[in-house]
Amino acid sequence: MWRVGIDVGGTFTDLFAWNELDQSYKTAKVLTTKDDRSRGVVQSIETAGIPFSEISLLMHGTTTATNALIERNFPDAAFITTEGFRDTIEIGRQHRKALYDPYQTKPEPLIRRRNRFTIDERMAVSGEARRPLDRDEANRIAETIAARGIQSVGIGFINAYVNPEHEEQMREIVRQHNPNAHIVISAETRPIFREHPRFVTTAIRACMMPVMTSYFDRLREALAAKGFGGTLLILKSNGGVMGAENAKERPEELIESGPAGGVAYASYLTRTTNFRNIIHTDVGGTSFDASIVEDGRGLITRNYELEWEVPVSVPMLDIHSVGAGGGSIGWVDEGGSLRVGPRSAGSEPGPACYRRGGTEPTITDANLVLGRLDPTLSNKFDLDVAAAEKAIDTLAEKIGLSRLETAEGMIKISCEAMAQAVKGVVVARARDPRDFVLASFGGAGPMHACFVAQAMNIPSVVIPGQAGVASAFGATAMNVRHDVEAFHYVDLPSANVDELNRLYDELEAKGRERLVRDGISDDNVEIHRTAQMRYVGQTYEVDVDIPSGKLTKAHIAEIATAFHRAHEQEYGVSSEDFPVAFVALGVVATGALSKPPVFHFASTTADTEKAAARSRKVYFDGRWLDSTLKNARDIMPGEQIAGPAVIEYLDSIAVLPPGCDGTVDPHGNLIVSISN
Amino acid sequence: MSKTTLPAGISDRIDPVTFEVLRNSFEYACTRMATIMQRTSFSPILADVLDFSNAVYDADLRLLAQAANCPVHLAAMQYSADAAIKRFPKETLKPGDVIALNDPYQGGTHTNDITFTMPIFHEGHLIGFAVSRGHWMDLGGGAAGGMSFSTHIAAEGLRLPPIKLYSNYEINEDFLAIIMNNTRTPHYIKGDLQAHLGALKSAESELIRAAERYGRDTVQLAMRELIAYTERIVRKSVEEIPDGVYEAEDYADTDGFSLDPIKVKVKLTVKGSDITVDFTGSDPICKGSINSPYANTASAAFYSLQFFLAPHAPSNAGMFAPIHLVIPEGTWLNPVWPAPTIGCTTLASSKITSAIWQALAKAIPERVTGSTCSECNWFVSTAVDRAVGRAEVFSDLPAGGWGGTPFNDGMNVTMDPLGNCMNMAAETAELFFPIEYESFDLRQDSAGAGKFRGGLGANFKIRYLCEGELNMETSRTRKGSPGVNGGGHSAVQRSTHLYPDGSRKVIGGLSPNGDWTSPLLSGHAFNNEEQFLFESTGGGGWGPATERPVAKVLDDVLDEYVSIDAAREHYGVVIDPQTMTVNEAETARLRAIMK
Repeated sequence: MWRVGIDVGGTFTDLFAWNELDQSYKTAKVLTTKDDRSRGVVQSIETAGIPFSEISLLMHGTTTATNALIERNFPDAAFITTEGFRDTIEIGRQHRKALYDPYQTKPEPLIRRRNRFTIDERMAVSGEARRPLDRDEANRIAETIAARGIQSVGIGFINAYVNPEHEEQMREIVRQHNPNAHIVISAETRPIFREHPRFVTTAIRACMMPVMTSYFDRLREALAAKGFGGTLLILKSNGGVMGAENAKERPEELIESGPAGGVAYASYLTRTTNFRNIIHTDVGGTSFDASIVEDGRGLITRNYELEWEVPVSVPMLDIHSVGAGGGSIGWVDEGGSLRVGPRSAGSEPGPACYRRGGTEPTITDANLVLGRLDPTLSNKFDLDVAAAEKAIDTLAEKIGLSRLETAEGMIKISCEAMAQAVKGVVVARARDPRDFVLASFGGAGPMHACFVAQAMNIPSVVIPGQAGVASAFGATAMNVRHDVEAFHYVDLPSANVDELNRLYDELEAKGRERLVRDGISDDNVEIHRTAQMRYVGQTYEVDVDIPSGKLTKAHIAEIATAFHRAHEQEYGVSSEDFPVAFVALGVVATGALSKPPVFHFASTTADTEKAAARSRKVYFDGRWLDSTLKNARDIMPGEQIAGPAVIEYLDSIAVLPPGCDGTVDPHGNLIVSISN
Repeated sequence: MSKTTLPAGISDRIDPVTFEVLRNSFEYACTRMATIMQRTSFSPILADVLDFSNAVYDADLRLLAQAANCPVHLAAMQYSADAAIKRFPKETLKPGDVIALNDPYQGGTHTNDITFTMPIFHEGHLIGFAVSRGHWMDLGGGAAGGMSFSTHIAAEGLRLPPIKLYSNYEINEDFLAIIMNNTRTPHYIKGDLQAHLGALKSAESELIRAAERYGRDTVQLAMRELIAYTERIVRKSVEEIPDGVYEAEDYADTDGFSLDPIKVKVKLTVKGSDITVDFTGSDPICKGSINSPYANTASAAFYSLQFFLAPHAPSNAGMFAPIHLVIPEGTWLNPVWPAPTIGCTTLASSKITSAIWQALAKAIPERVTGSTCSECNWFVSTAVDRAVGRAEVFSDLPAGGWGGTPFNDGMNVTMDPLGNCMNMAAETAELFFPIEYESFDLRQDSAGAGKFRGGLGANFKIRYLCEGELNMETSRTRKGSPGVNGGGHSAVQRSTHLYPDGSRKVIGGLSPNGDWTSPLLSGHAFNNEEQFLFESTGGGGWGPATERPVAKVLDDVLDEYVSIDAAREHYGVVIDPQTMTVNEAETARLRAIMK
């Protein structure tokens, strides 16, 4: 039987699969079918030649929800809220994205104001109902929504995270008028305080339920028609997977479903290499993503914003993106400074060298001019060197540098921008980059990884054997995972351990229930407890690991110490002068799946003729240097490759600058030691 | 100043690539300072509302880069840093020194804004300064937040001249004790100080790292070039404004004492790549607390122009060079001790912006936007929980809308240009203070009509579950914000006290009977279950409202941004309330008359 990972990206649908019996593997890459992405999924399996009936687990990463949200491409939804809060999801927190831009606008609200209703009811922060739900008004609203033909309804009331009764009553009334509608309440979606993120997350769930239900139904049907009888698991933003039925009901957990696979690959590397702390980076045509994996776990955030003031408030991998990639365009700004990106030539028209009408100088053109890219890309393409040179020359003239200086400068600036994004995760979370290795994924990643590492003082870079289908590979290494959280604000001295034990028991039961629904047997469940904590008076929380088992008074001091340590880790400061409080309790419930075997992606048979080093002139630091040229198919475990060198992979190219030497590890990962 | 020998202007002494890399690194240093302030400060006005700014300066104390959450801090920080270094000259400074001040008459603006200046050394050489400025919740005075609205600055809280608060990164415990003794919120002080120090230290390590990597000389060269770079952008942009003299006025409703509005008069003289901003003719020093010290007026002038000159250029000293200020001493925009100043950053700045934008509208009408709400609507309140025996202090600043632009409608409920603060989340406030938020939603018809209408203001309402005292500054209660190019005025703002029996009383602004009350409130008492309602205004409109497409007006009515009555009155669009469709014939007739 096969375990299959499929990542549907913007341009390509990637597949990686391994055979659970003989541990052989297959990969495939097909074009993404944008009209209905499920077709590309089926095609990729066919291309790989895997019989559908022999798939046990199909792990699928999809950006369908993210795309639908960004394009506002979903059926009209309605939102019902407490009187006075109709516009919370439109106003946000009243701040603006650009400090001085007088023409800026805010993102279009997910639900139009005419479909946002308010009702007289009020829950106090204590959980007592100050005013009951006005049932007559509730019926009128429910009628109006049904009459408008709206099938998705979000309900978000003030303080419902303390007491959900009014939301539940409202849901019941809406259901009576509209029995088939998707109805979601904020107390179930995200039972944590702060109305804006909770309401927006609830609205997102309401808006996405019809979209994802129809997508997963279509996909399941298409797979079943081909004979698929295995389990369909969906990649989620927290770095785990869940069953498609759970996914239909929790679509807000799918926002980073695509990139999550790559992070899982980085976690896999912590098992198969000596690296414990990895900075995962992924570079495509237009964007650069960075995130952190520590001890095999991806770092989590709850402060993600889909767009300005559009928070998705669920535990998600902390992935930072900047607009820097192969298609990023070099330009000179009004003050005369050389800039690169964030504008990108994308895939249409693409870099000047693509012969598709692009004339602006891109990072890909710069790499070509510097000899780092082979014009034929190993006989797959025919890149136009003259067009690239012409494009770079236009820029060179404007800033008074030579063609080669300009091209190398573009790469340097772009790599610095990537380094800033890495800082965004590493330094912003008070980690020291010198404790990390930079793992480079994506088509344009390994070409720039060493430069990014140099800019950050990161001592080594690892280029994994399957960088080109990283997300699909990572998908097959994931566990089923549910993060369940509950609000519980109490300062530590007042915390009641019986209450804590009761709440953790409840959360664990919820987590187990979801795992069982995903087909996990009870003895495969792992429970990890966390708490979101803060200094009393602060506004932001940090995650603290909480001991398992029955908590006693003695644990409280231990938890306080753990909090101070975590705060120091995240922000670089801590102080025992300030009292500490719990804000929310959480449980990570994991259903462990068998891990992929340890693959050996490197060549095992020595073919000296093929493997013989060729060389090419490549431009580094102002000089043309003879550089080793290798094909990744021919590299052997234990092999040393000294920079300057260029290594051509199936879907990407690795560039080792002078002084940066690589070693191939037993699994085919190229480990590069970085010199400055 | 640099020679500009190369075509694009970057000096031949630093290569464009290193320049760009260091430019980003200076900006990153400030961004990182902001992150640390947000995440580690303790008072909600810093951590939640983000009323702070951070910047790095070169060794000559010229602004290099800034992460200004509050544009009104843009140039004010410069005056603070200058005052700090005047008192403690550069050659006397050592690593780990931090100079603090808030004195409005020694580089400050209002007592709440406290500024910390730290020198940065590399191998014993001064390479720059890190400066962090935050709005502190309370530094004493006659009312919470210093908002006593009386007639002497002594009533506005502790006034710190430049003091060396830290030496060798260690705090001076005597100064700390004085500060702790002079605030209603001592529990925030240590945490907030820790946040400021953390921000300063992060900038210090970022600059040192740059010096280590690229060499001190290169970094200092890049600093000089960066300032020249911004200056080039600003000058080029000024050149695009036709030479001429452009004048405008705007008004504060009152200083809390005067019955007449208080005037800002501004004259912009554009000549080549220079602009002179002259405030001659503005009213004299006010008795009440809205006076704007020189640093504040200068800041307001710079940031107001920044929106239309160089919105994306790095904010640094290069921005100041082409702009020349004339602010006559003795006006309320350049007062002298002991004039009170607590309302300067909010009330005065926003009127200066509106006046400058209206003057610009005469020069570049096709580019200027309608005025914003032009207020901060800043309040500080106590909530006395008798059971616990403690007075909590909380604060918020419910925003209004922005003006219509040449391209689109203005933003709804967005912090005025002077700042970029967030509001308090209702559920956060309710968890920590004995109050309930009753509403923060869009206020229908509050924006100026126009081809592109203003963004809407808000209905902001809180209920006291205890006794409380409210201090608030606001204006725009006599007349709303002006539109441009034929766009309409926005609605007036108003503060109302609501009683449990359903009765109500206007406590700031115009009553239904036409009476007007001063909107500057100090110590206004609320009892348990009484509510405070504040209606903020929207932005002014852009272009004639009759040019707004009928379909857009109908959409606005269906979404209840605009009422059926206002659609008819301001837009000449007649909508049948039964069918909610446009009466085309009646609309055509009405629009023909209105044009």
